[in-house]
Amino acid sequence: MQNIRTGFVFDESLNAAFLAELFEGDTIYAETVFEDFLRDIPVYWERVETAYNNKNLPVLGTSVHTCKTLFGYVGFTDLQELCQQFENKCSVNTVEELRLDYLLLIQRKERAQHIIEKEYYRLRQFNGSNG
Amino acid sequence: MKLSCIIVEDIQIAADFLRKFCEKSDLVEVKGHFLNVADALDFLDQEKVDMLFLDVEMPGANGFELLDRLTYSPMIILTTSKTEYAFNAFQYHVDDYLKKPFTFKRFQEAIQKLQQKVAVPQTPANTTPTPAPTPAATTDTDFLFIKAEDKLIKLKKDDILFLESMRDYVKFVTPAKNYITYSTLKNMEEKLIGLNFLKVHRSYIVNINKIDDIRGNTIYLLGNQIPIGKGHKDEVAARLNIL
Repeated sequence: MQNIRTGFVFDESLNAAFLAELFEGDTIYAETVFEDFLRDIPVYWERVETAYNNKNLPVLGTSVHTCKTLFGYVGFTDLQELCQQFENKCSVNTVEELRLDYLLLIQRKERAQHIIEKEYYRLRQFNGSNG
Repeated sequence: MKLSCIIVEDIQIAADFLRKFCEKSDLVEVKGHFLNVADALDFLDQEKVDMLFLDVEMPGANGFELLDRLTYSPMIILTTSKTEYAFNAFQYHVDDYLKKPFTFKRFQEAIQKLQQKVAVPQTPANTTPTPAPTPAATTDTDFLFIKAEDKLIKLKKDDILFLESMRDYVKFVTPAKNYITYSTLKNMEEKLIGLNFLKVHRSYIVNINKIDDIRGNTIYLLGNQIPIGKGHKDEVAARLNIL
């Protein structure tokens, strides 16, 4: 990838080593991906909420699976694992049994989204000042 | 030589990454990106490509269903964030498996492996490529020779129950014994398809005289169960005079 810049340090809650390998220093592309994440995650999360409210466990599992992939592209590898566990539970538990896991997932997703918003603005600033 | 490909992926970020990696590698030409199996199949009906980057979980139908419906065998790289598909991937003879999100380095390893496969005739280490069935197979004889167990073995066509693709090898299944030879199902297809042999799945050719019965999408043949691929259903129905 072009546009290689050095010196940008990702938030410590993100897997910085993986992001460094994924973007290879291309902070312009990182900015694009973070922007796309913020555009897409509300759409996919709405599917999660709808499936949970409708007690549709197969769709709930599939929707969380999609979110899991998105979290990976912005460096939330630990949240990916949490999604994977939740996805697995969707095939063996009832919605009632998943309630606490679901609440935890919402909490972690909100926090992740907030961090990515901050990282996106930091990337924009970084790229702007180095452009 | 650039490999032509399509991307079948419902997550835009993942597809964008793949496209970017393809461009960066300069080894792969992306002919299209499809968000679902149906659109990809429409394209593949019109145009053949060397390889597919194929997601597994997509709305409507999954990646394996696309493989069932394909009527030819491009190289396949599965792209998924689930490792549970590894067994299916093996069964479907996919060429590589990229766990999302993957880096450019991992992507390049996969592509280079496929390029070698295309560029170099596939030769197992320290062995001579098998001339598959000898010319005898292409003439109007009721037998063929295959190279297996370090010799040329004569097989009566009528003894063959079915052939199974095993990546770069083909397994000939007969009532008495199975033989594995270094070749591809595509190669065998060209030599055997005719009156008695029919490709019923991307990984199977069966001897239609040996079929016992068919239940749903499965052919039963002397204790063996052979799946019928969705893309082969119509031809199977026509050839077997299914009323």
